[in-house]
Amino acid sequence: MIMNKNRDWLVRRAEQEDGCFVSVGGLVEALEQAEQAPSNVIPFKHAFVRFLQLVRRDRKLSMEQFAKKVDIDLVELLKIETDEQYTPAIRTVHQIAEFLKIPEKKLMALAGLLRVKDAQFQNAALKFAARSKPVERLSQEEQSALEEYVKFLCER
Amino acid sequence: MRSPIQIVDAATKELVEAELFDEVTVEHFLETQTEWRPVVVEAAKRMLESGASRDVLPRHFHWDWTSKGADLRILAFSFFGISAKGRLQGLMKLESAARSGRIVSQKGKPLIYVDYLETAPWNIKPLMKALGRGPEFSAVGTRLIEGAVRKSLDEGFKGRLALHSLSTSERFYLDVCGMTAVGRDPAKQNLLWCEFTPEQAETFLNEGAA
Repeated sequence: MIMNKNRDWLVRRAEQEDGCFVSVGGLVEALEQAEQAPSNVIPFKHAFVRFLQLVRRDRKLSMEQFAKKVDIDLVELLKIETDEQYTPAIRTVHQIAEFLKIPEKKLMALAGLLRVKDAQFQNAALKFAARSKPVERLSQEEQSALEEYVKFLCER
Repeated sequence: MRSPIQIVDAATKELVEAELFDEVTVEHFLETQTEWRPVVVEAAKRMLESGASRDVLPRHFHWDWTSKGADLRILAFSFFGISAKGRLQGLMKLESAARSGRIVSQKGKPLIYVDYLETAPWNIKPLMKALGRGPEFSAVGTRLIEGAVRKSLDEGFKGRLALHSLSTSERFYLDVCGMTAVGRDPAKQNLLWCEFTPEQAETFLNEGAA
């Protein structure tokens, strides 16, 4: 590719550009894609909801305590845990990923904010969602499912 | 492809040797995460602390170039980067299929679509101002757009080019590059569709040349 070698042209263009923002595209596209997500989003979201519920209970935190520690809106946490159709905000998932030290992109995918075609990832999410059941205290199986899934998310 | 180019030192106005390349790898995306993102985040925090409106904050605050890594293998996409002084200064992703002109005279004619374009945060004046220093290099955005226009010429699209500009970048594409603002696109978060006709692309490439 032959690029313009003219000094005057470059200097003039540089003066006009003057360090302004030039960004194109962005997160909006990822969000748009998520809105048109394929049918695998629902099982992923179920796994996301169950995952959140279990890690919160594992830390013996009420929803209010968890929201405060993670620095997210309590109302949104309530929506996430009670409405599987609800799509959480990017910032919320980012905060949760940071708090739990889970790779952000994987949690985004689990929350239905990013599309993932990885069959192993999908199977692990479905398996986790199926194995975990809502009970008052974590059973050995839940504990084991949770630990296994955390390990999976962190290692891959 | 590796083309020697020059960009401009923002402080001294001296020309600086750089390179435009299309052998973009996942490592380049990772570099934006490790080198660029912390600077953007810190600058955005300072801007918020100083009372800046969220509207003027960089819209690429949350951008994740790494999600584009998988697209490297797709032929309809091409990637370009600019390096200088041993660091990545800008990245761009182009799409060369399934897009056509929206300007009335260009309707239906193929063009190159800029899907992503970003320069390193240390080249963006508002961000560096928030961090108490000046930008390092200028004309990185110009060089990337020049590369995109030349790609359009190479593909036989006569320089036709289009993109959806973020609100903070509209000044660059309309006033600096001279693209036409075709209209807000409700299918794309109401972002502004900006387009180069072949004549405008020609003007962009040559205007100001002695």
